[in-house]
Amino acid sequence: MQQVFSIPKSMKKDFRYTFCPGCDHGVAIRLVAELLDEMNLREKTICSTSIGCSVFLYDFLDIDCVEAPHGRACASATGVKRARPDKFVFTYQGDGDFASIGLAESMHTALRGECVSAICINNTTYGMTGGQLGPTTVMGQITTTSPYGRNREYYGYPIKTAEQIALCDGTAYSARVALDTIPHINQAKQALKKAFEVQVQGLGFGFVEILSSCPTNWHMTPQEAHVRVREEMIPVFPLGVYKDITTEKGE
Amino acid sequence: MTEDNEKVLIKGNYAIAQAAINAGCQCYFGYPITPQTEIGEYLSAEMPKIGRGYVCAESEIAAINMVVGAVSTGVRAMTSSSSLAVALMQEALSYAASDELPVVLVNVMRAGPGLGYIYPAQGDYYQSVYGGGNGDYKIIVLAPSTVQECIDYTYRAFYLAQKYRNPVILLADGLLGQMMEPACFGKNPYPDVDVSSWALTGAKDREARAIYSCATDEKKQIQHVYNLFKKFEVIAENETSYEEFEVEDADIILTSFGSMTRNIKAAMKVLRRKGIKAGCFRPITLSPFPDKRIQELASKGKDFVVVEMNMGQMFKDVKLAVNGKSNVGLINRPCGEWLSVEEIVSAVEKIMENKYAASIQYS
Amino acid sequence: MEKNFILAGFGGQGILLAGTILANAFMLEGKNVTWYPCYGAEMRGGTVNCEIVVSDSEVSSVHKQDTDYALVLNQQSFDKFVHRVKPGGTIVSNSTLVAESRPRSDIEYVFAPMTQIANELGNSKVTNMAALGVLSSVCDVVSKEYLAKGFEKVMSGKKKDLLPLNIKALEAGYGILSQAK
Repeated sequence: MQQVFSIPKSMKKDFRYTFCPGCDHGVAIRLVAELLDEMNLREKTICSTSIGCSVFLYDFLDIDCVEAPHGRACASATGVKRARPDKFVFTYQGDGDFASIGLAESMHTALRGECVSAICINNTTYGMTGGQLGPTTVMGQITTTSPYGRNREYYGYPIKTAEQIALCDGTAYSARVALDTIPHINQAKQALKKAFEVQVQGLGFGFVEILSSCPTNWHMTPQEAHVRVREEMIPVFPLGVYKDITTEKGE
Repeated sequence: MTEDNEKVLIKGNYAIAQAAINAGCQCYFGYPITPQTEIGEYLSAEMPKIGRGYVCAESEIAAINMVVGAVSTGVRAMTSSSSLAVALMQEALSYAASDELPVVLVNVMRAGPGLGYIYPAQGDYYQSVYGGGNGDYKIIVLAPSTVQECIDYTYRAFYLAQKYRNPVILLADGLLGQMMEPACFGKNPYPDVDVSSWALTGAKDREARAIYSCATDEKKQIQHVYNLFKKFEVIAENETSYEEFEVEDADIILTSFGSMTRNIKAAMKVLRRKGIKAGCFRPITLSPFPDKRIQELASKGKDFVVVEMNMGQMFKDVKLAVNGKSNVGLINRPCGEWLSVEEIVSAVEKIMENKYAASIQYS
Repeated sequence: MEKNFILAGFGGQGILLAGTILANAFMLEGKNVTWYPCYGAEMRGGTVNCEIVVSDSEVSSVHKQDTDYALVLNQQSFDKFVHRVKPGGTIVSNSTLVAESRPRSDIEYVFAPMTQIANELGNSKVTNMAALGVLSSVCDVVSKEYLAKGFEKVMSGKKKDLLPLNIKALEAGYGILSQAK
């Protein structure tokens, strides 16, 4: 019988799926696992994990991981890479971790052009603590700490992470992708591959921001949540490649 | 100026930096702050020459987390900082203690609280020994008293950190960091430590390893804390160290840590000339604290006078160890000019006169 | 025997270097020695100083409230440190920049034109070596020969070219007081 589906080798055999139904973390982690397999990186990979829902990465991936305190994954990844330049090093963080409490570490890691890859899951809220306003919460969005909706007066504006990271001279690749449709998932995989490749090639910092659903904290069904990604998030956070030094010429 | 027995006149900060290189420190991560900046400056010049890692971190928070990342792969790495900025590192120290990672942190103390100033001080005894991080954990704390000991204890710090998989703080002060004194580097006397059973190097030909402190199972979390404390009992058994002078016939034992030790030794000599039987006791490891030896001495009826540049931090640990068996006095100044031999002598006389009723605080 | 020295002057007069050379001289002589500078923002104000303690046994204290010798290269340092000299101690001053005055009667005063000596040798940067020469001529503990060795130890590599001029300054400082007599 022809096998048409299998679990990537880089995933643990005995994991128990603990994310909420309809959450895109599962898809994102699977894409990472597929790429580690396809690029033959698993055995040289060290991941710097983060705090938030993304903390459970080491329950799913069958790779070496070291935990970093909230926001410090890029600093920890820098330490790993400087200590072991021959290893493949990546972070897997939420938007609160990467772009709020850890913004300094994230941006300076990009500015230094550290040859590490960073993945930031943007779901416009703090998921693990139950849906509070985060750095990516969009204008008007109601959360448990913005009960009247995000407004300029009290909260200011959300951060456009992929664009900001693209502005850093040490960044080799920065893109924003989504996981709401099959074509978008395929594009996301290509972007992650590119962010991994620039590290392997020693070109600099590779970054992918992934727009992701959070049905539980958005109080939506999985289907509704993906419609929200499409209709409310993508217009604010446009998909695309914001920097790719492998295609820029004459620089 | 590396591994030989020639005496060189060298600053404490440079001595620590070169000793770190000799001890096999592969990566340094740091952020400037007086009075320890020379450590980072020195290593920024030397590490690239020998192909080792150096990062000017964006903050102390980033620096210590870079150390956490680096040491998780089995290499030796360190950061250095001072008092108020070490406060920024406490979260990562708590993580590193829980994750059992061999972080080495040098704290060259200055005055506090808050910004304080760059004067030397010893106000981080609590921050180092009891920790500013969350939860139950213990750090190994070594307190050098001379530039030579800055070298010797840096060697020891890297060794103990890996041997016990526990963070180590080398607790120096502004005086020690800035002063020069003849010292020799010799060779790092400690053996390499095998880290192959836990270091992260990629899951090749073995199971994947995850280093983390998060236990969603309550029982596991309880057991984890017990294990950490059992390990520290072993550390206390094997590594507690101190130095003592003329305690056998002493009636009163001057006690201090770090670079104040020099002054109490000199004060002891003056007191002896005046007919007061004084001795000296100086913990080398502030954590584990040599409380058993202090108990022993106290049970023989010997009184203690703690001399320190803070509001009486080690004083409380000495009192706990003495546990009412003898008198404990305190001579202190919160920061700045080190208590002089004359000040110590005159304060000891006053303390004896008033039968330990009050401590002597200098402004 | 334990003696301490405070060296003080303007930033740029080579005070910390002079202290380092002096401390190296003591080390090479086989004595115990410590060197402690003013540091950090204190230096931004323009004056710098360092303290050297030399002892046959262990140094009792690195940073003391009073001093056996003060070597001061500018007026500000004279004004500040003349009050820190122990009774019976000596303040050695750079008379090119320090006005001759004797505010206390319980200490010794030595005045010598250190900057002038350096200028006459064609380089004001050797004021510090001239100053060490003067100090050595009035202080038994400080050996001129070991100061020269201390200089060599501190100035390695390319800077070795500076040795002859600095030795000249050291000698000139050492001889200036007997010349005046």
